[in-house]
Amino acid sequence: MPLRYLAFPLAALAALSACGERDDRTEITVQRFFGACQAEYGDVIDPQEAEGECGIITAMINQFEAENPDIKVVENTVFWPGYDQLTSQIAANGPPDVVTMHSSAIPDYEARDLLEPLGEDLPALGLTADDFTAAARAGVTVDGEVMGIPIDVWAPLWHINLNLFREAGLVDSQGRPIMPRSTEEFLEHADRFVEATGKPYFIQVTTKDLAGPSRIFQVYMMQQGDPVFPDPRHADFDNARGREVLKFMRDVYAGGYSVRDQDYAANVSAFLRGMGGILVDGTWMVGQFDAAAHDPDSPLYQGYAVRPVPMMFDGPPVSLVDGHNWVMPRDSSRTPEERAAALRFLRFFAENDFQWARTGHFPAYRRIIDSAQWQGLPHRDDIAIITEIGQPLPNYVRRQAPIELIVGEEVSAAFTGAKPIDAALRDMERRTNDVLQSF
Amino acid sequence: MLASQQGRRSTWDRWSGMLFVAPYLLLFVLMLVVPLVIGFRLSLTRGDLFGIREEVGFANYGRLFADPVFIQVIWNTLYFVVLTVPAFAVLGLLLALALNQQSRWAAVLRAIFFASTVLSVTVVTLIWRLVLLPEQGLAAVLANAIGAEPVAFLSSQATAMPAIAVTTIWWGIGLPMVLFLAALQQVPRDLYEAAALDGASRWRTLRSITLPSIKRTMVLVIIVEIILQFQLFGQAQLLTNGGPNNSTRPIVLFIYEAGWKQWQLGYAAAAAQILFAMIAIAAMAQYYVSSRRDAA
Repeated sequence: MPLRYLAFPLAALAALSACGERDDRTEITVQRFFGACQAEYGDVIDPQEAEGECGIITAMINQFEAENPDIKVVENTVFWPGYDQLTSQIAANGPPDVVTMHSSAIPDYEARDLLEPLGEDLPALGLTADDFTAAARAGVTVDGEVMGIPIDVWAPLWHINLNLFREAGLVDSQGRPIMPRSTEEFLEHADRFVEATGKPYFIQVTTKDLAGPSRIFQVYMMQQGDPVFPDPRHADFDNARGREVLKFMRDVYAGGYSVRDQDYAANVSAFLRGMGGILVDGTWMVGQFDAAAHDPDSPLYQGYAVRPVPMMFDGPPVSLVDGHNWVMPRDSSRTPEERAAALRFLRFFAENDFQWARTGHFPAYRRIIDSAQWQGLPHRDDIAIITEIGQPLPNYVRRQAPIELIVGEEVSAAFTGAKPIDAALRDMERRTNDVLQSF
Repeated sequence: MLASQQGRRSTWDRWSGMLFVAPYLLLFVLMLVVPLVIGFRLSLTRGDLFGIREEVGFANYGRLFADPVFIQVIWNTLYFVVLTVPAFAVLGLLLALALNQQSRWAAVLRAIFFASTVLSVTVVTLIWRLVLLPEQGLAAVLANAIGAEPVAFLSSQATAMPAIAVTTIWWGIGLPMVLFLAALQQVPRDLYEAAALDGASRWRTLRSITLPSIKRTMVLVIIVEIILQFQLFGQAQLLTNGGPNNSTRPIVLFIYEAGWKQWQLGYAAAAAQILFAMIAIAAMAQYYVSSRRDAA
């Protein structure tokens, strides 16, 4: 082919390639959940100006990029919780450099040697494992090895409509909500509340999003002392403790003290509309509900409080916790420069964890828990005890997410009356053991 | 000499024919047969997405048929197919008969009935959640308006699967309607004219001319819908997540949960083989029955 026929395409190609500016920055891929809000916070580089999980993490990543002009962050936002995508990426040898991961998911990936241990990198991050809170440390440590850098610790809480509690006379002389101290007292308070307000005392998920019922069940089981998972291959639900918990949950539902037919979104909406007394939801909602408490048009106006799930059984004080962490999937193609850039990213998050704690989650670092700055945030005094009594499920328990759904499905079937309690406990244990013995 | 020339030509004809089908055949083998074989092979193993751990023979199949959840899942899937496939065939045909006209309104209505088909499952389930929500949904508003108690369609074991079926029919009715419309437009007009001259009633015309003329399309619609509805996934996942009490979990959701959530790839692959067998048997049975009717 005569060269003149190639001249034009070659010239066009050269012209096109000249259009792109050469980018010498080290590129890292940061994959996260917590939602997408680029339209609102895409240009915000001061996390103080952002609100909510999505806003704050977006602003923090923007701030990191602004302060580290030699690093290009490719932010990959995944649909919650994003593990299907991560699993595919790892299987296809294309994982991100750092990725958000729940403490409860770390054992699965660690057991398959898919994550880089980060214990030896802690000095480079200006950290020691003792800087983490006990719960945060337990969440990232597997077999003595630190597998990630904790972002926070979270727990299921009781969010309270104080206005309705006042109406029911369930506040003390200082205006604080009166919490039940036993299952009998719960039913007594619930009865009083329903009579006074005509609304359900308890807002809980009863359908579709069954992590909620699962967590309530786990907390009540933990409140009775003995371990639910005695070893890595067995769960122990089908016992007198399990029966007592499910009977109590059934009494609450059958007695008309709970909302019915609600999934997670309906729960949050019902609480914000003032349709019930107590909502069981996580730490991440504290900020939003506190904002509603300052809105004169909200049913929660000057009437919001939050408490750890109260002790309803006679065991040691305990609260179920999980946590969010950054982990680094193994990737043989990651260069030392990319790894160093990823570590700088992790260091930045560790140094700025207070901003993240504004979401309502517990900070993962002792120095922040001890700081007047964190303690001065709304409602933190009321729930800070969780940093001492919080316990994750043992990290030898793998497949915690699917087990949570199995337990939730059986719990909700039992308390809504779709299945006898004994059958639900039997099926819950059989199905869970089936998963625990499948690998 | 002539015989040898004819022999060469017939060999050439055979091979040239093969050349025409070869590209499709190659794709078919690569994209369907090979994955099918790999899937079957995986079903005989224990492992996750990161590798096979051991060969277990047919143990995964044994586990599946001993698992009450999976047995319930098979019944759920069959129930859904029974709820939807006849409805698709009958409603699709009725809509096509009603809209098989050259008027402007018929064209507009055809477009409206087909429009839902182009929506994604996320949008469809969002719309139907707004209809079915027990407190503020459209159905609840209508129930309150007539003084009736709102029904919690998605959280009752009796109504959850029918609610998913209605959602699916609303979403997918466009395809059978269009297939029937295309078939109806192929029926020779002179047959209808002859029937009119003979004074045949509309019912007689439908029974003796229309239905026999479109029976191949009817078989096609039923087979296509059987294959599609056995693969129920998105609607069940987004509306009920398989609940309440496992009453709406279809096989594909079971496969997804086993393979992706529980990392039991071999177990999920075994369930997928069973789904494949169920679809193949149902579609072949329908084909066999309709072929026999044709022969008779």
